[in-house]
Amino acid sequence: MMRISCPLIDGPATSAAQDACGLRELGVGGAPVDSFPLPAVQDIDSFEREVVEYVKPNHGTTTLGFIFQGGVIIAVDSRASQGSYISSQTVKKVIEINPYLLGTMAGGAADCQFWERNLGRQCRLYELANGKRITVRGASKLLANTMFSYRGMGLSMGTMVAGWDEAGPGLYYVDSDGQRTKGKLFSVGSGSLYAYGVLDEGYRWDLSVEEAVELGLRSIYHATFRDAASGGTVSVYHVTQEGWTKVRGEDVGELHFRFYPDPAKHPCNSVDPLAV
Amino acid sequence: MATALPVRAQVPAAGQATKQHASWSPYDDNGGTVVAVAGDDYCIVAASTRMSTGYSILTRNKSKILRLNPKCVVASAGMQADMETLHKMLHSRHVTYQFNHRRPMSCPATAQLLSNTLYYKRFFPYYTFNLCAGLDDEGRGAVYTYDAIGSYERVGYGCQGSGKELIQPVLDNQLKAASPLVLPQQQWLSSLPLEQAVDLVKGAFVSAGERDIYTGDDVEILIITKDGIRTDSLQLKRD
Amino acid sequence: MDFLCGIRGRDFVMVCSDTSAVQSIVTMKQDEDKLVPVDSHRLFAISGEAGDRVNFSEYIIANVRLYALRNGSQLSTKAVANFTRSELATALRKSPYQTNLLMAGYDEGSGPALYWCDYLATLHHMNICGTGYGSYFVLSMWDKLWHPDLSQDEALELMRKAVAEVRARLVVAPPKYLVKVVDKDGIRTVAEL
Repeated sequence: MMRISCPLIDGPATSAAQDACGLRELGVGGAPVDSFPLPAVQDIDSFEREVVEYVKPNHGTTTLGFIFQGGVIIAVDSRASQGSYISSQTVKKVIEINPYLLGTMAGGAADCQFWERNLGRQCRLYELANGKRITVRGASKLLANTMFSYRGMGLSMGTMVAGWDEAGPGLYYVDSDGQRTKGKLFSVGSGSLYAYGVLDEGYRWDLSVEEAVELGLRSIYHATFRDAASGGTVSVYHVTQEGWTKVRGEDVGELHFRFYPDPAKHPCNSVDPLAV
Repeated sequence: MATALPVRAQVPAAGQATKQHASWSPYDDNGGTVVAVAGDDYCIVAASTRMSTGYSILTRNKSKILRLNPKCVVASAGMQADMETLHKMLHSRHVTYQFNHRRPMSCPATAQLLSNTLYYKRFFPYYTFNLCAGLDDEGRGAVYTYDAIGSYERVGYGCQGSGKELIQPVLDNQLKAASPLVLPQQQWLSSLPLEQAVDLVKGAFVSAGERDIYTGDDVEILIITKDGIRTDSLQLKRD
Repeated sequence: MDFLCGIRGRDFVMVCSDTSAVQSIVTMKQDEDKLVPVDSHRLFAISGEAGDRVNFSEYIIANVRLYALRNGSQLSTKAVANFTRSELATALRKSPYQTNLLMAGYDEGSGPALYWCDYLATLHHMNICGTGYGSYFVLSMWDKLWHPDLSQDEALELMRKAVAEVRARLVVAPPKYLVKVVDKDGIRTVAEL
């Protein structure tokens, strides 16, 4: 096929661009480190810190996931903030990698979106090459390997990879340091501590599906209540042998009045004796 | 005794220059505000035309909108130099796409391309805040908002740039619909009649011009429908 | 890392604190009582820098008792809280005390009261409250579990759950905790966790 020679298109930035989205390199591995143009500075680390001040990427989240008797529950909020500005209340923080795999998004929105899309591509290629679905273990390892190859470059991402494979339900935590851990129960993001408080208190292995969904919903709701960087809508996903389904999507503003119809009974509405 | 010749300053090869002043920064904010509103069968894109640096106004008529094709445009605020680079890059990618596919790039495809283009510069970002807007494959209005490093989302309306804190709440107040994430699904695209939407955008810009020093002079307005792109403009105060 | 928390129930206030005295990275002792009585029906739970903590609380307690001796009547919990806040606020612009405190008390007539005050002299009346990293886990849990008619048994159960959560999740979780309650009968230790 004819190619038009054009310096802008064939320049280093674009060829790198094609690589990273897999137009050229169709291997299953992550894109190589040198495919992204770097600034000509000595101290990349401090440059990246300065850049963050300028571009203020989207941040702030509560996400959780747990395995129980009836499968895997994933629940997330939907707020993105840049500093104190809420840049979106409708972020989709569960990334549907394929009908059996979900990824959650915490940390830098662009980092998560890009690399989990990349993971989806890698998983599809694996499927085509091997004629079977990738395991949750394998998928999370692919992501962890990619993250590890970029360690120290300032990526920010805390994600859970959840799904179902021949080994049953799977849940892994993967972050931008390259850490990857298998587990039954995780919560990630700025509101995770609050979510843990509710989640740990209510979690049991033999929870019914309905109870488990409610627990996920409730945990995210309480995290959005305490954590200013979390909010919007709560989305709950349920993963079973048949793949994932989205089971709940609820506006936090409405949830509050469902859980606390009487304001006087809310723990934070104490009668203030200071106001005489 | 021969006088020593002055030693010539060494000129580093391109890309080799790593020595620099500690406080030097490759970024500048030239301000500007861009707004896009999607409707059932139209999309409005508007951008202020002032370009400033600090307290100085550099020009009063700098277009911030790139028209890729009759159904898709990209509007960018932020640093003018990066915007120019980004727009040239997108333009050339669009030209090659047309050579390869014999049709213009659709709006959702352009949106993904813009996201990737921004992310490739993850470690040296374009200092631009973008909106991609136009009509989708079904002919409905489509607006995509971005952060500087390529996270993006389809929305019903969006605002970026120096006036976003002033304009976005106004748009929320007039246009906010149910979240696309709620179950059961609800109508998440609220649509105004075209003329009302244009008035809303104009009103928002007039207000932003009152309080934002980087928004003023003129507003370039594009109205995208299935019949093509119609332009409109709005004069703001020049102070 | 210091951890304090408190619950206001129907007719009592229950507070919990860790019992570690820490110097740098060393645990100096494991049985420090940070829940100090002010008078028969009021107590402070204090965290923060060791020196400031003791100095400030002793100063406040001495003055509250002096007031009682001079005037022949005890200050209410509300009065103690506002006096404490005022002293903390005055000190803030001179030589600040690095102390966060919870004030719990039971008054004849107005019943139980629980106040939260940080080193910047922010004072607020609370139903549930906490300080330190541990409180992140506990507050959301109590948001869910607290209700206005809480009994002492229920509150103790909430404390147990809170301490279990802090132990399970907080990297720098203290090993031992003390729970005290203030009600119409005065101050009592109800559990060591």
